[in-house]
Amino acid sequence: MYYEDLEEMVGAKRDEIMARMAMMGADIGKSNEVEYVDVEFFPDRPDLYSSEGVARALQGFLDIKGGLPEYRVQPGDISIKVDPSVEEVRPLIGCAVVRDLQFSDPAIESLMDLQEDLHWGLGRNRRKVAIGVHDISRVVPPFTYFAADPSFEFVPLDFDEKLSMEEILKRHPKGVGYASILEGFDRYPLITDANGDVLSFPPIINGELTRVADDTKDLFIDVTGTDPVVYKALNIVVTALAERGGRIEAVRVERPEGDLTLPDLSPAIWKVKVEEVRSLIGFDISAEELARSLERMRFGARVLEGQVLEVSVPAYRADIMHPWDIFEDAAKGYGYDRLVPALPRTVTVGEPHPLEVHKSEIREIMVGLGYLETMPFTLTSERANFEMMRRTIQVRDVTRVLHPISELHTIVRTSILPGILEIFAINQHHPLPQRIFALGDVLSNGRTRQDLAAASIHSSADFAEVRSVVDALFGELALDPEIAASEDGAFLEGRGADLLVGGERVGSFGEFHPQVLQNFGLDQPAVGLELRWDRLWPLRLP
Amino acid sequence: MPSQEDKLSRLSSRDRQVLKEINQGLSDPNDIAERLGIKEVSVISSAEGLAGMGLVSLDKRVEEVYTLTEEGARYAEIGLPERRILDIAGAEGVSLTEIKDPALKVGIGWLKKKGWANVEVGKIRPTGDAPPGKDEEILAALSFQGETTGSALDGEALKLLKSRGLVESKAQKSWSFEISEEGKSHILKVDRAKYGINFHDVDLYRPVNQITSDMIKNGVWGVMGKGDGYFMYKGGLHRANPYDVTLPAERIYPGKVHPYQRLLTRMREIMLEMGFTEIKGEIVQSSFWNFDALFQPQDHPAREMQDTFYLDSRAEIPDYASVKEMHERGGDVGSTGWGGTWDPEVARREVLRTHTTSVTIKYLADHPNPPVKAFSIDRVYRREAIDPTHTPEFEQLEGVIMDEGLSFANLLGVLKEFYAKMGFEEVRFRPGYFPYTEPSVEPEVYIEGLGWVELGGAGVFRREVTAPFGIDHPVLAWGLGVGRLAMLRLGLKDLRLLYQSDVGWLRETPALARM
Repeated sequence: MYYEDLEEMVGAKRDEIMARMAMMGADIGKSNEVEYVDVEFFPDRPDLYSSEGVARALQGFLDIKGGLPEYRVQPGDISIKVDPSVEEVRPLIGCAVVRDLQFSDPAIESLMDLQEDLHWGLGRNRRKVAIGVHDISRVVPPFTYFAADPSFEFVPLDFDEKLSMEEILKRHPKGVGYASILEGFDRYPLITDANGDVLSFPPIINGELTRVADDTKDLFIDVTGTDPVVYKALNIVVTALAERGGRIEAVRVERPEGDLTLPDLSPAIWKVKVEEVRSLIGFDISAEELARSLERMRFGARVLEGQVLEVSVPAYRADIMHPWDIFEDAAKGYGYDRLVPALPRTVTVGEPHPLEVHKSEIREIMVGLGYLETMPFTLTSERANFEMMRRTIQVRDVTRVLHPISELHTIVRTSILPGILEIFAINQHHPLPQRIFALGDVLSNGRTRQDLAAASIHSSADFAEVRSVVDALFGELALDPEIAASEDGAFLEGRGADLLVGGERVGSFGEFHPQVLQNFGLDQPAVGLELRWDRLWPLRLP
Repeated sequence: MPSQEDKLSRLSSRDRQVLKEINQGLSDPNDIAERLGIKEVSVISSAEGLAGMGLVSLDKRVEEVYTLTEEGARYAEIGLPERRILDIAGAEGVSLTEIKDPALKVGIGWLKKKGWANVEVGKIRPTGDAPPGKDEEILAALSFQGETTGSALDGEALKLLKSRGLVESKAQKSWSFEISEEGKSHILKVDRAKYGINFHDVDLYRPVNQITSDMIKNGVWGVMGKGDGYFMYKGGLHRANPYDVTLPAERIYPGKVHPYQRLLTRMREIMLEMGFTEIKGEIVQSSFWNFDALFQPQDHPAREMQDTFYLDSRAEIPDYASVKEMHERGGDVGSTGWGGTWDPEVARREVLRTHTTSVTIKYLADHPNPPVKAFSIDRVYRREAIDPTHTPEFEQLEGVIMDEGLSFANLLGVLKEFYAKMGFEEVRFRPGYFPYTEPSVEPEVYIEGLGWVELGGAGVFRREVTAPFGIDHPVLAWGLGVGRLAMLRLGLKDLRLLYQSDVGWLRETPALARM
């Protein structure tokens, strides 16, 4: 947003604006200090996607101009006929005319930004809502919205030749970008004028004919989509243009199910009980002050009998779904910085989770044995988790993500040892011996389980060393495991052992097979152990 | 630890005996050899070793020693030829023709050289007295003494005799020893009577590095006085070497808790101190618990696959009628709902939990009656590429309080307390937005050098979230990504270091660094 533009629209100095902006609910981004500042508003407030909308909100917040903004919608004779053929592909359309505009550069930029942001935010990337803005002087009303055969040809924006709608989806950058929205339909939405000239091929591209230029004075706006939020989007665009001095003129939308006169800028009326606001926010506020706080947020607010407020919600607000949405705005209008934090009186006794208690106990034992704790990633690959470990993939066991972001992160680990060997691999320049361990989650058949893994690497690491660690660990755990020869491929034949408690295999340990060491790029002997310790306690996750 | 004292431990008992004798004033190896009943070469070898250690000073000289040749020895007995001619000649002289013996003839030239006689017209005439010359004295002395050092004899005459082949010489070494200051320092007087032990008044101690079990059991300690390291052991004096205690030793690396785990543990403690119950849950969650139960519309961008790790599996979900009704029409809490149609199949899709809130809401659904105070610290998953400030998995802390009559101001109070316990005294609150809370707030803490830093998010669960599960009282909730806090606290520039740790960093980060 440009400071100069903003100052002019708000009617306040830059410093005053910037001092309060964040408390209205905005993330102040980077600025070149002189001309502009990037400000990010939350996604629930598409009405703040334009400088005009921000200026409108700031006027309230800075006590320059509060209460419900009034917009006059002048009657007009422009209409658009909605053909039943759009019902399947893109049923909803809202239109309006805005006249007498004078586009300075920031204004055009702001309109374009608003359109793009609405496409993304409200529009779910044009699927739900798409907006077209046209120079109305180039076309002749009445207009028609219908579904046309894909072979229909016209000159799309930024092109100087006619293309069929089918070709546009294949050749025009916007067509390629949004073709998926029309996938599976055999007729495509189109808006034409009385002469059959094309205004728009929603949600893909406008016609070149109605391109908005510096000298454009009067706009025709179409908003098409699949959800009633198209009417909100229309309201957001036309009220922003009205803030620029535009004159809103109604358009009659003739639908099979009945005509609409748009835009409908009448506010939604909500009844708010003062006591409910007080109780949720936790402040002692009078009905009058509450009304003022809401007016500061550009609501209309009237105190009624019995501590009730009648709140008028501006037609451009897309986020008011529930009374608490209004309560929050009341708190913002009052000022979060004026609220008095107070600890609740709720009395409870804290209780650690048994798994975490046991984790701390095992951690203490491992640290006592001279092991250094690490916390490797749980995302890994089949290659590291199984192949490099010379272990067979247990298909049932594996939790594979559908769209991995890298081939290194395709599954959630079923074992922690590979992660430990990877840490050894990146630490070969540090003195040996290195002895490290990790405690953490593994997934087994989609269930979260708890493992301990530990390993030791140095020139004389051998089975006896890891056996001593296992014995010490189990001694401290007051358990007496059975130890049997293991077939775990990670360990050398005859130098790997399984740990069994109550006949159930709970882990294994041994000397890593040199092939495993080679796979991880290690060149010193290493030994390791892994233990599914949550089986040792009669515990299950809730 | 190497020290001067180590030298002594290398000494043999013979070295010690030799050192002791030198200390008592003997300087000649021969004398020492005689006294100790050993060979002189052994004494010299020991003494040279001791000198190398600086315990004795050694004066080693190389001298020429002279002996008579066979011819010289004969002349010593019978006289030099010139002396013998002089004897024959008497006072009046003798004719040259009478000196026929070739052994005598060589004397004629020497008679002239020494000026003992003139030779005129075939006759040798003595010039007068011919007192014995230095050369003759030497011959006599060598004959009497055998080997003699050159320093005691006349140099000119020796030269002459050597040139006549009557005397020969060879080089001979000689030694003289003296105790050095350092040597003295190792020699101690011990009160024999006091300890009644059989050793000399003056003796050496044997330095010891490692004290053995046997020394502790059988040694007599405190021999030289209080606090020292001298002890009698196996009949000899010993000393536990004093070390240079300021020298660095070999590094050892203790087993340690991960610095990040320390931070997590501290946060758990804070939550427990504040009376919260710790909860845990599954990594794999249904979309129902991860999104739908939190009133996230099914077409919400955060649910798209570019942000969330979906699995190719479907979950069992609980009775969803009330959730469906809330999404579509807003239930009976005065909400508009999202409209559209809520699809249970979408809710069945499984994901790696994107936040711990999936665990929290499930817990609240199971415990809908007040009061509830619960927290969790666990790993969550987002579909993000790894870079210094993003990892696809990270820890999240989350706390909730549900009770009758709770307010947004109470939430601010809890946040203030929590952050104070974390060491952030200054906290401020800005409006925030989270899909499942209303009102929402972004707490910011003041950090010296950085200013106000956003740290976490908080809010009151929407009625659309709580009502379908029969939760009728306000739920205050807050959470934060712990990785960000860890970066601030541990001074990290790269989040990956927490997970793919540099062992050097783990070893060097003090366990008790300020958290």
